Amino acid sequence: MIEVEELTKHFGAVRALDGVSLSVGAGEVVCLIGPSGSGKSTLLRCINFLEEPTSGVVRVGGRRVGWEGERRAGARELARARAEIGMVFQHFYLWPHMVALENVIEGLVTVKRIPVREAAAKGRALLTKVGLADKMEVYPEHLSGGQRQRVAIARALAMEPRVMLFDEPTSSLDPELVGEVLRVMEQVAREGMTMLVATHEMGFARKVADRVMFLDQGKIVETGTPDEIFGRPRHERLRRFLDTVLV
Amino acid sequence: MHLDFGVAWKYLPILLQASLMTIALFALSQVLGTIAAFFLALARMSPRGWLRRPAMAYIWVVRGTPLLLHLFFVYYAAPAFGLTLDAFPAAIIAMSASAAAYNAEIIRAGLQAVHRGQLEAAYAVGMRYDQVIRRIVVPQALRIVIPPYMGNAISHCKNSSLASVITVPELMLTAQMIYSSTYRAIEILTVTGGIYLVLTSCLSALQMYLERATAYEQRGLGGARRRRLRLDTPLPSMPAS
Repeated sequence: MIEVEELTKHFGAVRALDGVSLSVGAGEVVCLIGPSGSGKSTLLRCINFLEEPTSGVVRVGGRRVGWEGERRAGARELARARAEIGMVFQHFYLWPHMVALENVIEGLVTVKRIPVREAAAKGRALLTKVGLADKMEVYPEHLSGGQRQRVAIARALAMEPRVMLFDEPTSSLDPELVGEVLRVMEQVAREGMTMLVATHEMGFARKVADRVMFLDQGKIVETGTPDEIFGRPRHERLRRFLDTVLV
Repeated sequence: MHLDFGVAWKYLPILLQASLMTIALFALSQVLGTIAAFFLALARMSPRGWLRRPAMAYIWVVRGTPLLLHLFFVYYAAPAFGLTLDAFPAAIIAMSASAAAYNAEIIRAGLQAVHRGQLEAAYAVGMRYDQVIRRIVVPQALRIVIPPYMGNAISHCKNSSLASVITVPELMLTAQMIYSSTYRAIEILTVTGGIYLVLTSCLSALQMYLERATAYEQRGLGGARRRRLRLDTPLPSMPAS
């Protein structure tokens, strides 16, 4: 469902991504782990072209993202491709001038041109599903971090994306709020969503991921099942990383 | 010193008549200047040099030279381009051009205050640039911009008095004509000042109203938005989860 070939991204002299190739099958959940600055975020942001890759190919659902044939994609094509790729950010980025329900249906109304009435019914069902039935008309600033992130997940799901990208979705949450977000993500995974998750939650990776990839200095150093990665790490760098995060 | 406000009272209707011209000058140039300023601000923020540089140059020149000069310039230079402008349209052009430059920077400040991440979230759900600006950036920029924008509007309203120099019969010119024939400068200028104060007070009141109207999180959803979202009706069908 997601195929990445030889992806590189340079920021000036910094090589954020240095020839990354990976593929995520339909319904598969892949967790990206690695130290800060290893390129996890950049990789996710290159997949939906929030960052334009320096070189390499990204395909989602068999279609190349950011290109139409030999030409770079125009704004319309890029928007169409992004609508099929859900993204959840570390800092939520809910729109503060809209209540929770309006945040969830904004894409349906503005991008998919679905009538508000229909979109609202769908949005309410999604917010109920993420456990926020009583927060429909609350502005983001009155929600806790965990609630905000669940709204953000509902907002991404509303577009019925083919894949979901999660960019450290729990890293800015208070520890007691992490669980509620991870439970929603687990539920989304169980329903068969294709997911690529950059995370520091090793417990989540171990429990939910089909495969785990370890990124360091812009390269995928090791890939394996959770048992392989956490039980029998082969590379010294991965062992050192796991020692620091699994206290 | 003997003051005779009876004179001012006698000329008050004429002064009020002239203040309509002041209002027209201000309102028309403020609206035109704001529309132009919005696009000027977008151009000024563009990554494309051919859009950004002309916008920067325009703002630099117009903000860096006096409005008085612009008024003379438009009024006297127009014939050189084969146009003979009356005083009023000339004043509207010069004042709109000036308002555009100042408001462009105010609007740019508002647009840039919206966090980049909010824009990225909008692009990530598949919005295009124009949709992101319309749905995400402008509604948030609006409230940020209100205090500086209205402050500038108040200056602009008072600056309309400069149009008197190119013979637009607005409040200031009318006041001058009255006191030069009646020699009652103190009385006439006091009343004229009072009229300006009323006009700018209306703008201050409008500012307070707009600030309250856009303080959405304090008030929750209005009835219209609730109805639009069908929040009062029970959810028709719940998918099993």
